[in-house]
Amino acid sequence: MLKTPATSEVASEKKSVSKKKFVFRLNANDKYFSMFFLGPSLLLLGLFVFYPLFKTLYISMFLTDTFGNTTVFTGLQNYVNLISSADFMNSLFVTLIYVLAVTVLTITMGLLLANLASKKLPGIGIFRTLYSMTMGVSVAVAAIFWLFMFNPSTGFFALVSNALKLTPINWLTDPKNAMLAVIITTVWMNLGFTFLILLGSIESVPRSLYEAAEVEGASSSRQFFKITLPMISPTLFFVSTITIIDAFKSFGLIDLITKGGPTNATNMLVYRIYKDAFYSGNYAKSSTEAIILTVIIAFFTLIQFKFLEKKVNY
Amino acid sequence: MKYTKKLILPLVLVLGILAVAIFTSINAVRSQASDKRTEIVFWHEMGGPSEDALEKVVDGFNKSQTKYKVVPKYQGSYDEAIQKILQTHGTSTSPAVFQAFDISAAQMIHSGFTTPVQKFIDQDHYDVSKIAPGARAFYSSNGVQQGMPFNTSQPVLYYNATLLEKYGIEKPPVSPSYSDITRVAQQLYEKSGHKTKGMTVQVYGWLLEQALANSKTSLANNNDGHTGNPTKVDLNNPQTVEFLKWIRENIKSGDFIDYGSGASAGANQTAGFLSDKVGIFIQSSASIGQLTANNTNKLGITYFPHPDGQKANGVAIGGAALWISNDKPKDIQKGAYEFIKYSLKPEVQAQWQKDTGYLALNKDSQKSKILKDLYKKSPESKVPGQQLATAKPNNFNSGILMEGMQLTRQLEEVAMETVYNGGDIGKALDIADKSINENLQTSNRANGYK
Repeated sequence: MLKTPATSEVASEKKSVSKKKFVFRLNANDKYFSMFFLGPSLLLLGLFVFYPLFKTLYISMFLTDTFGNTTVFTGLQNYVNLISSADFMNSLFVTLIYVLAVTVLTITMGLLLANLASKKLPGIGIFRTLYSMTMGVSVAVAAIFWLFMFNPSTGFFALVSNALKLTPINWLTDPKNAMLAVIITTVWMNLGFTFLILLGSIESVPRSLYEAAEVEGASSSRQFFKITLPMISPTLFFVSTITIIDAFKSFGLIDLITKGGPTNATNMLVYRIYKDAFYSGNYAKSSTEAIILTVIIAFFTLIQFKFLEKKVNY
Repeated sequence: MKYTKKLILPLVLVLGILAVAIFTSINAVRSQASDKRTEIVFWHEMGGPSEDALEKVVDGFNKSQTKYKVVPKYQGSYDEAIQKILQTHGTSTSPAVFQAFDISAAQMIHSGFTTPVQKFIDQDHYDVSKIAPGARAFYSSNGVQQGMPFNTSQPVLYYNATLLEKYGIEKPPVSPSYSDITRVAQQLYEKSGHKTKGMTVQVYGWLLEQALANSKTSLANNNDGHTGNPTKVDLNNPQTVEFLKWIRENIKSGDFIDYGSGASAGANQTAGFLSDKVGIFIQSSASIGQLTANNTNKLGITYFPHPDGQKANGVAIGGAALWISNDKPKDIQKGAYEFIKYSLKPEVQAQWQKDTGYLALNKDSQKSKILKDLYKKSPESKVPGQQLATAKPNNFNSGILMEGMQLTRQLEEVAMETVYNGGDIGKALDIADKSINENLQTSNRANGYK
């Protein structure tokens, strides 16, 4: 029943498209006409995206002096040096751990909270507001707040462990805990946005599907996995892509909380690029790192579109 | 209707804020237009209480004459400012006079972006002999004054004198050795019932470099760059090892607390000290202002500790100098020099020391009432100046003239963190040496130095 009008619509659209093509082909100014529309955006992209990209690629093949001028051509030597350095490999490794942990934790917790908050219970509005509140907190404020929490002598965690006579945890000075601290802070920051988007998407799943499932006697967990998850998969795809890219680009929290330390345990790629360029003035090295990061993000985005998107139910 | 009523209040508020903002900005533009003085843009990196003190200096200069007007602009940390200065040179946003910190001296001299202050000193027949020679030497090359020292500090050791008295612990000598400090720290930790940690040493490359200076050891070859551009760094030397062993020993006995690295570590450390959580720490003398203003306890200060069985060689100065950009017209450069000259006046330097803890550089400042009153009120604030005066300047304690010092410091800090977290001292230093030397060689090659 439903299929017939849809297919006929597609057919008529096809017809009109081919008709348009025919008309366009007759027009001799076709090329210039399209450039008229594409031009402005191409110009802007060229100026602000492609030019910097190629310039970065160019710089990455040289050594740069104190002022960032390219002086000695070295070809791919910068890449070889970086890939063979344990320090850079460590950065790559911690970045991957961080991205993975942040994405998985943000989405599972966001989903859990959104699912809870979508239940019609008295006072649920309060919880919805609470869960989405971190969206309104700026990175700087969040970082300062968590720095207070982690302070080894006057922080909240230190006071609790003192009161319970436990050995205090060195949150920001022990390499193992520092990563955990940064992950906790990032997930806390991201949760509000993820929660809100997922809640909206869960709310928009048609009630009739759940009613039908209940008639058939499906359990609530079965309803979640068989109805909610597939129905919100486009949103999940969107949120996961955004979270992964955001996590790769994470900068503010790291700069304010750990500065990449201790012993480079939280020295993620983007922070490294910043430090090498604007602290150490080594523009060649940071350009090389930037190109490597671009390749990595492009690779992840490609994978997401190739494999994940097929599983998405639009 | 319901919604319109609800919206009225926020709307009025927003409009009100906008109106005020527009009004004040119009006023600001107007007052700027009425001021016909030449503007001297001044970039600095003083935050917190030091920024207020610096603004006092600027205000004083602006009121003192009618030709120039200095406009101070905060540029973030010392580290961040260097690249901003180098990258904006020759553009309209670049400053006329700027503050650049000690370890960037080699970079600034090599850049050729500045007019040596010496040029104006000669034109003006200014008597520089009044300005502390140790500080002047740090920013000069081949007898030419390149930048002019402005805020100059010394690393010193602070202790909580009230707590020491309370527990009957003998206070450390004026020039303590590592084991003197260990003794006090351990006693404090034990006698306070583990409530107060004995000591901390911030993960800060500057402190490591000072420990080397104080034990008469150079970090880079060619006498730390004083007799030629350095080509090799040797961090894994017996003196670094002894310094780190001293810290390791205190970590093991439990009286040490690690606040980590960076600005937040510095703030946490100060907060811990003021709230009796830690009894001893090492920091720039520039912290004295903050430590006396907010302290209910008596503050004790000693020299930077030295290794056992040898005399202290003295530490290098820290802080920053003022430099004049050469990309501005002559008139503006002259104005920048006038400001530098003003900032070195005896009473300006005296007030600056009182407000911040940086040392007054003009010898005549010591005669001023401001400093005499200060020493009467808190005799311990004399200690940093005495430390500077007792040290005989030599190549070990006059700073490290090497490019890439910021990166070197980062790598030193990684080594310190490794050791603080239980890593092998020799191995950590070897790794740092390898990275520092690689970077040094690349940098020398890229810049075409031999």
